[in-house]
Amino acid sequence: MADHTLLNLHITLNTNKMKNIYKSFLVLSSFLLIITSCSKDPILEQDPFVIAFDNLSLNIQNISDQENIKLIYSNTANENSTLVIEVTNNIAVYGVDYLTIPAAENNRITIPINKGESQKTFTFKKLNPNLMGNDVFINFKIIEITHATSSIQGNSNLLLNSSASIGGDFEPEVGGPNEGNQVFVDLSNQTSTVIQRDTWDLGFYCGNEFRVSLNGSIFMATKATNYTDIDTVPESVLTNMQTEVLVSNGNPENANYVDAINGDVTETAIDEISETDSENKVYLLNMGSKIGLYTPNTGSVDMQGSFRGWKKIRILKNGDGYTLQYANIEDTTHQEIFIAKDNLYNFIHFSFDTENTVDIEPQKDNWDLCFAPFTYVISNPAYGSYIYSDFIIHNRKGNVASYQQSNTNELNYDNFELTDVNETNFTNDQTTIGSNWRNIFTRSVYNDRFYILKDPDDNYYKIKFTALVNQDGVRGFPQFEYTILE
Amino acid sequence: MKIIIFFIALFISTITVAQIKNTSDLDSIQKIEEIVITGQYSKQSVKKSVFDVTVINTKTIEQNAANNLADLLNQTLNISINPNTKSGKSGVSLFGFDSQYVKILIDNIPVINEEGIGNNIDLTLINLDDIEQIEIVEGSMGVQYGSNAVAGIINIITKKKSTSKIKIKTAIQEETVGNEYEWFNKGKHIQSLKVDYNINKNLYSSLAYSRNDFAGFWNGRKGEIYDKEDLRGHDWLPKENNNIKLLLNYKKNKLSAFYKFDYLNETIQRYNQIVELNHIAATDTDNPTALDRIYTNRRFIHNLSFNGVFNTNKKYDLYLSYQSQTKKLNSYTYYIRSNEKDNEQNNEYKSRTVFTTKGTLNNIISTKKFNQQIGFDIVLEKGLGTELSLIEGDIETQKLHTYDFFTSAEYVFNPKFSVRPGARISLSNTFDTQFTYSLSSKYIFDKNVELRFIAGSANRTPNYTELFERFLHPSHDVFGNENLSSEKGYSLFTHLKKKTWLNDNTKLTNKLSIGYIDLKDKITLLLVSNNPRDTYSYVNINKYNTLNFSLNNSLSINDFKINLGFTYSGIKQYLNSANANNEKYLFTPNLNTSIFYNYRKINTAFSLTYKYNGKIESYVFSKFDNDGNEVYSKGTTNAFGWLDATVKKSFFNKKIETNLGVRNILNVTKIASTAFIGGGHEAQPIAIDMAYGRSYFIKLTYNFKHK
Repeated sequence: MADHTLLNLHITLNTNKMKNIYKSFLVLSSFLLIITSCSKDPILEQDPFVIAFDNLSLNIQNISDQENIKLIYSNTANENSTLVIEVTNNIAVYGVDYLTIPAAENNRITIPINKGESQKTFTFKKLNPNLMGNDVFINFKIIEITHATSSIQGNSNLLLNSSASIGGDFEPEVGGPNEGNQVFVDLSNQTSTVIQRDTWDLGFYCGNEFRVSLNGSIFMATKATNYTDIDTVPESVLTNMQTEVLVSNGNPENANYVDAINGDVTETAIDEISETDSENKVYLLNMGSKIGLYTPNTGSVDMQGSFRGWKKIRILKNGDGYTLQYANIEDTTHQEIFIAKDNLYNFIHFSFDTENTVDIEPQKDNWDLCFAPFTYVISNPAYGSYIYSDFIIHNRKGNVASYQQSNTNELNYDNFELTDVNETNFTNDQTTIGSNWRNIFTRSVYNDRFYILKDPDDNYYKIKFTALVNQDGVRGFPQFEYTILE
Repeated sequence: MKIIIFFIALFISTITVAQIKNTSDLDSIQKIEEIVITGQYSKQSVKKSVFDVTVINTKTIEQNAANNLADLLNQTLNISINPNTKSGKSGVSLFGFDSQYVKILIDNIPVINEEGIGNNIDLTLINLDDIEQIEIVEGSMGVQYGSNAVAGIINIITKKKSTSKIKIKTAIQEETVGNEYEWFNKGKHIQSLKVDYNINKNLYSSLAYSRNDFAGFWNGRKGEIYDKEDLRGHDWLPKENNNIKLLLNYKKNKLSAFYKFDYLNETIQRYNQIVELNHIAATDTDNPTALDRIYTNRRFIHNLSFNGVFNTNKKYDLYLSYQSQTKKLNSYTYYIRSNEKDNEQNNEYKSRTVFTTKGTLNNIISTKKFNQQIGFDIVLEKGLGTELSLIEGDIETQKLHTYDFFTSAEYVFNPKFSVRPGARISLSNTFDTQFTYSLSSKYIFDKNVELRFIAGSANRTPNYTELFERFLHPSHDVFGNENLSSEKGYSLFTHLKKKTWLNDNTKLTNKLSIGYIDLKDKITLLLVSNNPRDTYSYVNINKYNTLNFSLNNSLSINDFKINLGFTYSGIKQYLNSANANNEKYLFTPNLNTSIFYNYRKINTAFSLTYKYNGKIESYVFSKFDNDGNEVYSKGTTNAFGWLDATVKKSFFNKKIETNLGVRNILNVTKIASTAFIGGGHEAQPIAIDMAYGRSYFIKLTYNFKHK
């Protein structure tokens, strides 16, 4: 059958007229095919091959015996080559106070770069344990990279001295898309403290005021009853309040049941603890939610796990500390614990799980920023409390202040200097950075702005956020870079 | 009421004008009538049909060089096409009912899509290469076509015969996308080949292949190979589809049967507009990545259909159809500079298979006046996942089996007057037993005036999302409701049609239609609990009405054909709002007109079509007031006009045909709208992607015929 068809076709095509039509058609189609090869994809400009130090500075006092100094490659090395680092120092003497492995010859350390590597370390050994002082420094400077297309840029210098960190790159371990952690970052020490955010419930203020805050990172809320005896509050009174003491249910009233978002300790949801016991009411406590368990779709978060239930509490002043009374809402007896203030800290934290105080925040002078989910209050339009992911507060109670700086024609992160700081812009509102640094819809950071922060020791830093997600688009992997302004 | 009077007056005046010119009565002269299938006991002329069937014929399709159904229906009154630039799909809406309420059939058999069968069809996946004609019936057609035929049906009738022994048709079509065009990376490139072969006098075969490569609408963006944060990706996603169709048609004596195979493969490329620079502060270098997604859509259709006559006049129809569709997602992290893929994942996130069969028997007890039909309609549907399984990760299998039985009878009182009542019962493994009814009647007055009155009902079955969704949001949860029942649609349509032969070569047709659709138990997302968290679920509580007046006039004089249509359609929503004043009809005017002229002397046909889509108003949720009540506000979507012009010329005795044309001459792109949730008349309008601007096309067709 097929042969027959082809034959027929062939015969027909043999007529001259057909032939012409067929030819013209063929020519036309081949013409189209040839031209299609003209389309070309654009060629992208590549960044050079760079090797640089992980950090710009290291505090020599933080090094006990030896330190592995990390070198970062911009890309995997694709050939064997060498790296040369120049060593200079003041007061400190090579071979006496410190040495390096591999050793320096003529103040130069030569390190082989092997094909396929993407990072390297060399060792710094502190020989003199008392090496310190304002004028002491050791400086490492990258002076040669023999790899093809290489460039010396970025952190090409590492300074070891006794001063505050001059900056670097930071990846707070928020914990991925469940954002299970609170991360307290200390810029000047370039350190962070990571705690699981549902391991505490109440914070007892250690400053002058007698105030108690809620753990907003797990979305707690509270409201006073009219009762002052924790054992005799009728359960029905508490259960009736349960439809009210909620977070993020669209009721503008619920703003009163969470701590002020600006971080002002005089505006906590729980009233100031009174000298007079009879003025200290019993509070219904919404314990918020556990950390989420699901792995959400790439780019989303699952912060909220199951509901943690309800408690009733009453707090009394006890000398220079607090007495916390607490119980389940149906109980007619209660537990009591004394919590003393410690003026090295903003708060002493208490957990109902351990029924004891727990270590959460670093000392008040030792942190600047905290990364965690946050209970926010939307006031325009009045929506009440609302849950925010990827939130950042600064340490208001430790006297940190910050402001947002927009890029202008003249000013950007790279050229911003200490003289550009405008003192009047600083605000102590702890939500200055808040959620303003990221766009959760595009899952990216805003590149048109950066932040200026003044730490408890009056160091000034500029901070630029560089990522909200990791390279695979997973949430809960923020990154920022910062540089001291001097 | 004023509107009705206005339309009737308009209708009468057009007819009266025609009557004056009507010098001779040409009723007796045999004229070629369009033959329709939709809703009929057997093929018959439009005039004899109790339903009002609108036909779009091959000539129109070919003239417009329309490659898929989305391209074609753009100019049809009451229908609007809603492109989704993010998913690459195009849906249809009829009288303001979205594509969930419109059923699409090929040769009477519903078409599968990734979420069900018949409705929710992506019109860009319906290729028009083998189409005989398209028949549109407005109104609820539940008795004839089962669930989801609420607003109407679109039935695509394919070609099943050829007059030549061998016929080869091959075509290439190059089209600009707005003002973008390149041989490969920009524009629209279509190639097709169709071979018809009459194996013997009883057996006809046809094989068709087509490829449609839409390179996306870039609109200043830079596509895939671009590593900066500002302009990567496309404004409208690029996609390509390949379609193979095979038909075997057998016809001998009183039996005809066909087997049709259709395979479609579509890929949609979503090159992420978001670029992660992955700046390494230490080395001050970037390694930009993007999360790219390639969607693949595969569809198989096997349709087997029989019809014939036994016992001299008892007619039967039977089809069996097996269809499947799967959607796959290939996602990866793309390292733009090194052109490497990492973290690559492939998953099939949606799939549907359907076996469906429908049989009818006509003229069981047959008299000249009385005719009846009984039939069954079985749909066995199995599905996995939904759009949401991409988010949720868990894929649940869903089975929906429906067993329907239906009957209708036509009583012809006299040649002028006939009535056709009908009913259908639907049994299912998931939903309660449902009943649908219809009553159609036709009266033919003197002077070719036809009056049709059609009442019908149809249900819409809840979709997968409404039944099984589980979405946990930071501030609230949304849950599907497995106890939902179907939405119930009822429609009433009246059509008054007058055909006038002004002389042998001049025909005037006027049609006035009034349609009303009432949708009850409409599924709505509602706050069902707020303790301890806000929880939303789907509930059958809402209502939705549409009221539609339309007037269609067409005049053909020799090789001239002019069409003018006007509709005024209103939608009434019932809102969860304190202000009952919001619950009223909001009307939108639409107008379409076309002029077609065939200049036979030079084998050239010209056409110009224009559609005006009037301003659409609707109430949308705008905010909560201070007491927490929902406040609705009137949102507006702006009007726009759509103008196309085409020229078709054939050479060498139609062996070569060329089409040249301009689509969207008025250069429509985005339409401003305040009709969105959180919007309303005080809101800053958003821009809805309607089209990508004026574009040009050329199509070359080569026809080869033997014998």
